[in-house]
Amino acid sequence: MKGVVFNLLEEAVSRQFGPETWDDLLDDADLPGAYTSLGNYSDAEIVALVSAAATKLGKTNAEILQWFGEEAMPILKERYPALFENHKSARNFILTVNSIIHPEVRKLYSGASCPFFHFREADEHSIVMGYESSRQMCDLAHGFVKGAANIYCEEVTIEHHSCMNHGADKCLMEIRWAH
Amino acid sequence: MGALDALAASADPVDALNLRILKLENRLQRERAARLQAEEIAEKGLRDLYERQRQLELLETIATKANTGRSVEETFTFALDAICRHTGWPFGNVYRLDDASGELRPTPMWHAGDQERLSAFIERTQRTIFRTGEGLPGRVLQKGTATWIDNVALDPTLPRCHVAAECGLHAAFGFPILVGSEIRAVMEFFHRDVQALDEQLLTVMAQIGMQLGRVIERQQAEEKLIHDATHDPLTGLPNRMLFTDRLTRAVALRTRNPDNRYAVLFIDLDRFKLVNDSLGHAAGDALLTEIAARFAAVLESACTGDVLPTLARLGGDEFTILLEGAIENGEAIAIADRILETLAEPVEVERQKVYTSASIGIATCASYYTDATDIMRDADLAMYRAKASGRARIEMFDKSLHDKAIERLALESDLREALHNGEFVLHYQPIVALADRRVTGFEALVRWQRKTTGDLVAPGEFITLAEETGLIVFLGDWVLRKALQTLVGWQKQGIAASTLTMSVNVSPRQFHQHDFVAGVLSAIADTGADPACVRLEITEGVSIIDATRTAGIIQELRDAGIRVSIDDFGTGYSSLSYLHNLPFDALKIDRSFVASLKQKDDGHEIIQTILDLARNMGMEVVAEGTETADHVDMLRDMGCGFAQGYFFSRPVDAEAARALLAQVPD
Repeated sequence: MKGVVFNLLEEAVSRQFGPETWDDLLDDADLPGAYTSLGNYSDAEIVALVSAAATKLGKTNAEILQWFGEEAMPILKERYPALFENHKSARNFILTVNSIIHPEVRKLYSGASCPFFHFREADEHSIVMGYESSRQMCDLAHGFVKGAANIYCEEVTIEHHSCMNHGADKCLMEIRWAH
Repeated sequence: MGALDALAASADPVDALNLRILKLENRLQRERAARLQAEEIAEKGLRDLYERQRQLELLETIATKANTGRSVEETFTFALDAICRHTGWPFGNVYRLDDASGELRPTPMWHAGDQERLSAFIERTQRTIFRTGEGLPGRVLQKGTATWIDNVALDPTLPRCHVAAECGLHAAFGFPILVGSEIRAVMEFFHRDVQALDEQLLTVMAQIGMQLGRVIERQQAEEKLIHDATHDPLTGLPNRMLFTDRLTRAVALRTRNPDNRYAVLFIDLDRFKLVNDSLGHAAGDALLTEIAARFAAVLESACTGDVLPTLARLGGDEFTILLEGAIENGEAIAIADRILETLAEPVEVERQKVYTSASIGIATCASYYTDATDIMRDADLAMYRAKASGRARIEMFDKSLHDKAIERLALESDLREALHNGEFVLHYQPIVALADRRVTGFEALVRWQRKTTGDLVAPGEFITLAEETGLIVFLGDWVLRKALQTLVGWQKQGIAASTLTMSVNVSPRQFHQHDFVAGVLSAIADTGADPACVRLEITEGVSIIDATRTAGIIQELRDAGIRVSIDDFGTGYSSLSYLHNLPFDALKIDRSFVASLKQKDDGHEIIQTILDLARNMGMEVVAEGTETADHVDMLRDMGCGFAQGYFFSRPVDAEAARALLAQVPD
């Protein structure tokens, strides 16, 4: 997992719960916690941090990941405003994840293993998004979609039709816009 | 006063600790800010490096293709595709420079990421020609360098600004494809978004333009090589290779479908060598070029849509024409006629009017032709017959020509054998002084005693072939030596007077050997003959080819004491001026004039004229073909000094000739 994800998590935790909470989470997860955005760290570390947060906040791992994704989006926008500039809607932005966002990620982090998303634009109010990754972090994707909707001031509901966390071989989420 | 200062002023140890904490937090903030800044710098560096690397990869991919691609089309299409894919610019297109107009013309080479959406733009691009300075490609052509436009919609002077905007295209760049410093093509790309100038991208594109230029350069070099290998450099016409290639194809087409007719015209200029020898090679070249142009003009006007002509120069003064399609024998002859007609008008070369003609052989398609070589051979044979039967003629090939050629080949082979085996013999015909009927000399005449059949072959049957094949040079040398040996033998035996002459015929080919005089002198020296007894007979044909050189050779022979006669006088082309310029000792009146004595009055008058002429020029005269007593009397009365013919003796072998010498004249 790329260091930038740890940085985002630290930022999100620190903003909402204070820097001490982040220190506690590191302590609870027994991690040294020195992350640079350009570094590469074990996936187990993010899993440990998510678990520590879940324990500390009395939430499920899924809830923590969803919360994190949603909170990370405005921070991402601060760091990489160009990615958001050319889009007028969250739908438009989300659909560029494979063609623009992940290629940009690879420019910075050669060898970054970004997941590939399948999109099926069912109708103008919904998209069915397929996710398949050994990390099984569909909830993070769920959070990111939510966060993106917030950025463009849109309201979406996300329904998991099938999920790798529940034994499916891939995740299928339906994103539905409220209007 | 800041928080730190207030705490620093306090003596309370808690304040001291708080001060320390604050300072540490400040230091942490600074470190954190520095880290973020460092990460940002590193990210930018990585991003640039990545872009640069990708562009280098693109350049390398295209350079590799440029080195291995088989054609310009293949390589350019590949490059368009690769650039669009690498850069994410959705539309790319190539224009090629039209040499004649200097305009950039669209090509079928383009790439569109979203063809449907861009269809109006593509359609417009495909039918727009750009002059220099016009539109994006015209600007590239004018400046000679890569050019960038942030937003085409903002520049109404661009011919495609509206259609581009309608199709959602905004930024654009173009770059030249250069061969050396010359622009041969322009490549352009369009992006959906407005984009600021990307210097680095443009630099890489300029380099790609150089790489792609090498493909054009290579193709041009290849085309030139192929063209040079298949065309005659002087006239620019197809050469033998290309002609044979097309003929081979025509023969193959005919075997598949008898409606695919063809004919081959084999054209050989008459006496072209004369022009080359007398006016020089530059003049010869100019003549060939002009003639090639005339032939081409004939074909252009004579060949309708049904007949496809190929005019080629095989080399030297040989041209060939292949007529393909609905060609009948009559049409082929009509075209050959027009080829001859077009030569009627003299060609002006080096301020001289040169008259030329051609001999044309025609062979037309027949089912028995299976390859180009056969029909070429037959057209060539027909051309030879045209030439042999008097130049400026057309002959169609027929099977008998082929049979004759086969016969000729066999004869040539036999002749070589005969020379090798010594199958030739000499016969001698006496030359008689009309005043006292005394034998003053002999003319040596060669006969072929065929070992295989025992037949005695007359010279008419083999001399021409010997001349054409060059065997005459060896044969002629043998005749000269043999005749002189015989003469010297008779003189040594006391049978012949020391003044008895021996006449030997010299063929044109022999005469034009560069070492001809040396050969004659060596034969005289080797046999011990008195040069004053040696008479060389040359025909008019020899003398007209190059009068100056001929005169020089005759003079050399005379300086050595040898005498030279002009043979068969009156039958050739010689004019009086030639005769005047050539220092002949004697003149031989052709037998045809002698034969017409009595029958026609003009025969009488012609001989009298020749005799008067010879007398005025101090030349002796020998009349050939005297067959009757009347001939002898009349010639003597007209003042002719010498004669030979059946009246005195037919040509006889050496034994019989000896006997003649022993006779005392009546």
